[in-house]
Amino acid sequence: MTPLERRYRLLLRAYPPAYRAAHGTELVGVLLDCAAPDRTTPELREAAGLLTGGLRERVRHAAGGSAWRDGLHLGATAVMAMQLAAMLPYAGSLPLWGVLSALALLAVVRGRVRLALPFVLLTGAKAVAIASGQQLVDMTMLPVYPGFLTPRPMFVASAPATVAVGYGLVCCCLLALSAGEAPRTRSWWWWAAVPFLAWAGPQWMAAETPIPISLSRMALEVAVLGLAVWAARVAGDPRWALAAALYLLVVSDQLGEHFAVLTRQHLAYWGLLALLTALAAFVPHGGRRRVLLD
Amino acid sequence: MFCGMPRGTDEVSEPMYYVLTALLDGPLHGHAIMKIVGELSDGRVKPSVGTLYGILERLGDRGLVTVDREEKVNGRDRRYFRISDSGQSAVEAEARRMHEAAALVMKRTSFA
Repeated sequence: MTPLERRYRLLLRAYPPAYRAAHGTELVGVLLDCAAPDRTTPELREAAGLLTGGLRERVRHAAGGSAWRDGLHLGATAVMAMQLAAMLPYAGSLPLWGVLSALALLAVVRGRVRLALPFVLLTGAKAVAIASGQQLVDMTMLPVYPGFLTPRPMFVASAPATVAVGYGLVCCCLLALSAGEAPRTRSWWWWAAVPFLAWAGPQWMAAETPIPISLSRMALEVAVLGLAVWAARVAGDPRWALAAALYLLVVSDQLGEHFAVLTRQHLAYWGLLALLTALAAFVPHGGRRRVLLD
Repeated sequence: MFCGMPRGTDEVSEPMYYVLTALLDGPLHGHAIMKIVGELSDGRVKPSVGTLYGILERLGDRGLVTVDREEKVNGRDRRYFRISDSGQSAVEAEARRMHEAAALVMKRTSFA
């Protein structure tokens, strides 16, 4: 294998594994046919084409099957990543509940929604109990102080009803998904999102605000929703908008609880998420682009 | 291969138009399509390999092209793509539309 072929094969990793297995050799053959005989590094144009082509192919493959079921599953996965992130800084004090929350996310990522449901119910009930200052299943010292990632005690500014809405929404999604074909497995990258959602830094809001949103969380959410808009445009499919709307619903509920004390930064943050969600909903219905308008 | 895949958007971009036009003369493999698209457009449209195969997949999803046959040449896999009846109708409709649009300008200018 020549260095050029090896580098093209490396770039082909942007494509889904199934596509690579079926057509990877063919694409490499055409790339080598197009390359100058003495060339050892890929042309920039070809490298960019492979990266964008691979991402488009991933979106094309992801857009198969029922859009509403997949959208529900994707939205539930995102909300559960946020719920695990809310638990993560306190895992030292609540190891059992941290593990159960992680198992719930693991089951959902692997498409095992029926298995995830009892874990979500248990962790949800415990989270609501902590938010309301009650004891459930085991004795918990309240308030629960963090071990890392954030300085704030657990659910210090969250009403039990707000916590219940998030877990209730996930339960409804999982119940709806438990009938019929099992959802597909999702990317392991969802685990990488959890520490970014849990980390309270870098701070950009006043420390005294009851619901500070960190820059790491906002940057991740904006990046993921931006990808959702792009995927919705490429595939012309509503599943990403449905998932984004579910996530936005939970964030809106969390912010709405403190509506009277929200700052302009909070409103800008919410507005950005809402704008990206609306774009994901409307771009699949964008006008037809014709040759003359290119 | 294309069965069961989503339709995607129904836009016909300029590279798609040239790919469909190249296939009007008969089934072609990827490298040949690239060369003919370059010739037809006087080198103006030169899709990268990743872009070309993305276009072929999308045209396949919409039923405008199909895989005619697969071969192995010098140890390399090759798919030959063929334009379908609906692909031929689509490219003809697009050509007719552009012709009519061009005529609007030509009959009002020195082209007439």
